[in-house]
Parts: sequence; C-alpha cells; structure tokens
Amino acid sequence: MQVSIETTSNLGRRLTVGIPAETVDKEVNKRLAEAAKNVRINGFRKGKVPMKVVKQRFGAGVRQEVIGDTINRSFYEAVQKESVRPAGQPSIEPKQLEEGKDVEYIATFEVYPEFEVAGLEDIEITNYDADIADKDIDNMIESLQKSQSEWVDTKAAIKKEFKVNINFEGLRDGEAFEGGSAENHELVIGSGNMIPGFEDGIIGMKPGETKSLDLTFPEDYQVEDLKGAAVVFNITLNSAQKQKLPKLDDTFFEKFGVTEGGEEKFREDVKSNMEREKQKAIKNKVKEQVMEALLEKNEIEVPASLISGEIDALRQQMVQNYGGAAQNLDLKTLLPDDMFREQAVKRTSLGLIVSEIVKNEKIAVDKDVVKRLVEEAASTYEQPEEVINYYYSNEQLMQGVEAAALEEQIVDYIVGKAKVTDANVSYEELMKPAAQQ
Amino acid sequence: MKQSSVKQERLYKIILAPVVSEKTAIASEMSNQVVFKVAKDADKSEIHAAVEKMFDVKVENVNVLNVKGKTKRTRYGIGKRNDWKKAYVRLEQGQEIDFASGE
Repeated sequence: MQVSIETTSNLGRRLTVGIPAETVDKEVNKRLAEAAKNVRINGFRKGKVPMKVVKQRFGAGVRQEVIGDTINRSFYEAVQKESVRPAGQPSIEPKQLEEGKDVEYIATFEVYPEFEVAGLEDIEITNYDADIADKDIDNMIESLQKSQSEWVDTKAAIKKEFKVNINFEGLRDGEAFEGGSAENHELVIGSGNMIPGFEDGIIGMKPGETKSLDLTFPEDYQVEDLKGAAVVFNITLNSAQKQKLPKLDDTFFEKFGVTEGGEEKFREDVKSNMEREKQKAIKNKVKEQVMEALLEKNEIEVPASLISGEIDALRQQMVQNYGGAAQNLDLKTLLPDDMFREQAVKRTSLGLIVSEIVKNEKIAVDKDVVKRLVEEAASTYEQPEEVINYYYSNEQLMQGVEAAALEEQIVDYIVGKAKVTDANVSYEELMKPAAQQ
Repeated sequence: MKQSSVKQERLYKIILAPVVSEKTAIASEMSNQVVFKVAKDADKSEIHAAVEKMFDVKVENVNVLNVKGKTKRTRYGIGKRNDWKKAYVRLEQGQEIDFASGE
C-alpha cells in the first residue's frame, strides 16, 4: 500500500492511496469461493455451481464490496501511518477501480486544528453576588400569587388588566367588513391583541354599556385592504372580570407545600428557594463568562465538516422543539444553514478548545464532584436517597451528570487561573438572563 | 456447412432461451458448446446462422434434439407441457458467448 499526502489548505488534506491488484483479487476470489458453497442457482444443485458461473453472476458485486471494505480499512491505516487526525468523514474519490489493475483512490478530508490554549491568565471574570432583600421576597410572593389568581366578576369601571367579554361590530363607510365583528369575545385589557385605541377605548366603560369608537387601522396591518382604513367600532360590554389574588393564608401556603409555621415559614421557604436559584444563576454567569472569554482569546480555524455537522444537529434540535416536522418539508430551504452558522462555529470551536484543555491538563471526572451534583439534584425531591440510588443505577443519567461535573471542573480550573473580581448587584439583575447566549 | 439464405426476421425468432444447468456448464467447459432452447420448427442451418448473427461468433456445428414435454397431473386431469427443441451449438475454438453482457 502506497500512501502520499498533500496539504491543500490550512486544514485540508489530500491522501492518495494505492492498493495492489493482487490484494483485492485474492479477497474477491476468497469470497466467491465462499459464496459458491452456498448459493442456489436454477439448474444447479447447491454447492455444485461452477466457479465460472458464480463469478459471472456475483463477481462485479463482490468486487464492489471488497473495494469498499479495503478502501475503508486502508484509509484508517493510511491515516495512522501519516498520523493525522481527520475531522468528520472523508470524501473518497476512486481513481482506478478496474479489474487486474492496482486500486487507487483519493481521499480529501479536514484535520483537527492543532493549537495551544492561550490566554487563560488574561481572562477576566466578574463574580457576581447579590443579597436577597425583603423586597425581592415580596416580589417573588406576588408573582406566586398571580400564578394562583382567579377571575371574579366585577361591575366596576374597566381598568387595565381586566378581562372583558364584548360584542363588537366594525363598520367601514357604514358597512360591516370581514373579520371586523365578533360576539362574546374575551379580551384582556392591556394585552395589545387589538388595534391601537381599541383597548384604550374600553377603559372606563361599565358592564352593559355600549360605545362606538372611531379608529384607524395601522399602516402595517396584516390585511392588505384595511391598511390605514378609518372605521367605526360599536362595542357592547357584556361583562367584566377582575383578577383576584389569593390571600396569603394557610391554604395558599399549603399549595406550595408549607403545612405549618404560617407566613414566617413560607417566607423562609421562598427565600431558600431563591437562594438556590441565585447560586445557580451565579454559576451560570461565571460559566458564560469563562466560555465567552475562551472563545475570545483563542480564535481557531474550525473544520468546515464539523461546522456543517453541528448545523445539522442544531437544525434537528429546532425542528424537534417545534414538535417534529412534517416529513416532506424541505428543511434546508426552510431553515437555511446561515441561520445556525454563527452558533455552530461558536459551539464547535468551544468544544475543541475545551477538549484541548481537558487533554493538556489531564482533567478527569472527579467522583466527589459527581456525588455532590447528584446529591444536589436529589435534594429537591422528597426522598433524596431513592433519587440518588436511581441516578447511580441509570447509566444515561450518570453520563449527563459526569459531563456536567467535568464542565464544572473545567470552569473551576479556569477560574483558578483567571483574574476574578467580585461585584455585588441586585437580585433582580442577577436573575436576568444574559443578553448573549 | 453452407450459409442458407434465411430471411432476417426469421432469424430473430429462432433462439428462445439459453439452457442453464450443470450439464450445459460441463458441455461448455469440455467441448465449447452452448445450449439453447430453439423454435420447434428450426433446422440446423437456421440455428447456425441465427447464433452467428446474434452473438457475433463463429459456429462450428449444431446438434439438435427434441425434448418431450412432461405430463403433469392436476386435479382437473392430466395435462401435458409443450414439446420443445434443444440445440447444442459448438463454437469454433477461441470463440465465446458472454451471456452476462446481454444479447
């Protein structure tokens, strides 16, 4: 087997591999002889088919197969011989496949970039922290109340955030137009579902009243006909409902698992929950900063094949997030590659950098970290013991945890090297999701 | 054997199918003969011409024989398969018909 390698571009490589004819022919004959023992051909008893007939029938197919196999095998041998690390699948182009001659093929592929992870010391990380103030707890409790609220009928004048039930009829030049009328339409004031002015017009009305509004459709309305049209809406207010927040009493607390201790205990619970969220957020913030910084300090060239692989994966993910796609949709045009390119480049280069760090620093999964993570995950359940056991018995879950542990260790490692400054911000600000993903 | 003046269209109707069996494999191996199922009313000279024309080979001689159709019993009584004619065509030395590449 002769191998020659060329460098076509920074990461591109071209391998030309030649395999002697005998090697292939010998293998073909061996397989045919094997096949001759077992094939059934009309007119012959099993095992009595002459070699010539077998060759005539199956020769070409078997040869194809053998060539496929040898190319595969020899490619990996060649790669090892030349000690390159191909990224993604090579594209193989046969040059010479004829019988009796040496088989030759050209494989083009990309290699993983070789680089040194640099600039770990220059990374600047801000370690955010926040105190949870009473006000923050109040806010949290209020949003909990909102999530448990119910709608009650009211006779009061309509204000923002009321839910109203209306009949309306839209007239343009005295005539009704399509889609401009409805009965028993439910609407939350302030939701912005209707054209501007509509909801504002309802504010101040009382149930049972009627009113007509002179309005103009916005210029960018989605119905071509109605763009900028002046219309009159006759609105009848059937009924209105007001959002009623539940009282902070024992029944409310019970819904969140606090059976005794009253408000004090509830506040404490909320606070510890928030504390946990806070820790998580801090960790995420640090991680994000570390990853961003890594990308910034280490600009590497990423093999195109890896990027396109990542793009496909991202596309798949998106399709799944939207509840699986119809089979016959052309995904490539619907979700073009460019949509994902930036993210894909980021993710692949980050993956390369991180794996390089892991390799260089010999970071291995730490059993203690894994144990801590599992315990952390289990602590929110009622029977932590069982959850822990479940985790340890489920390989897939464990793999996930181990990956998370490794990530944490890497982040810790980098944080240990980097310059860290502390900063204190408000709880709200801390919990805000980062602007960049 | 003299080339008989057989009409062109007729030649295409003479050879019906190759006969493939262990016996024909041996015949081609030992005595360079190929075996065909041929039209019932074809004669040796016609077959000679037809094979030369269709496969572009030189034929040395032709032997023919009639094969009696098998009698088959079904529940509707006794039936008989058609009789057919078999031709052993000996090719001149070095000549060969490659069935794999089609007629």
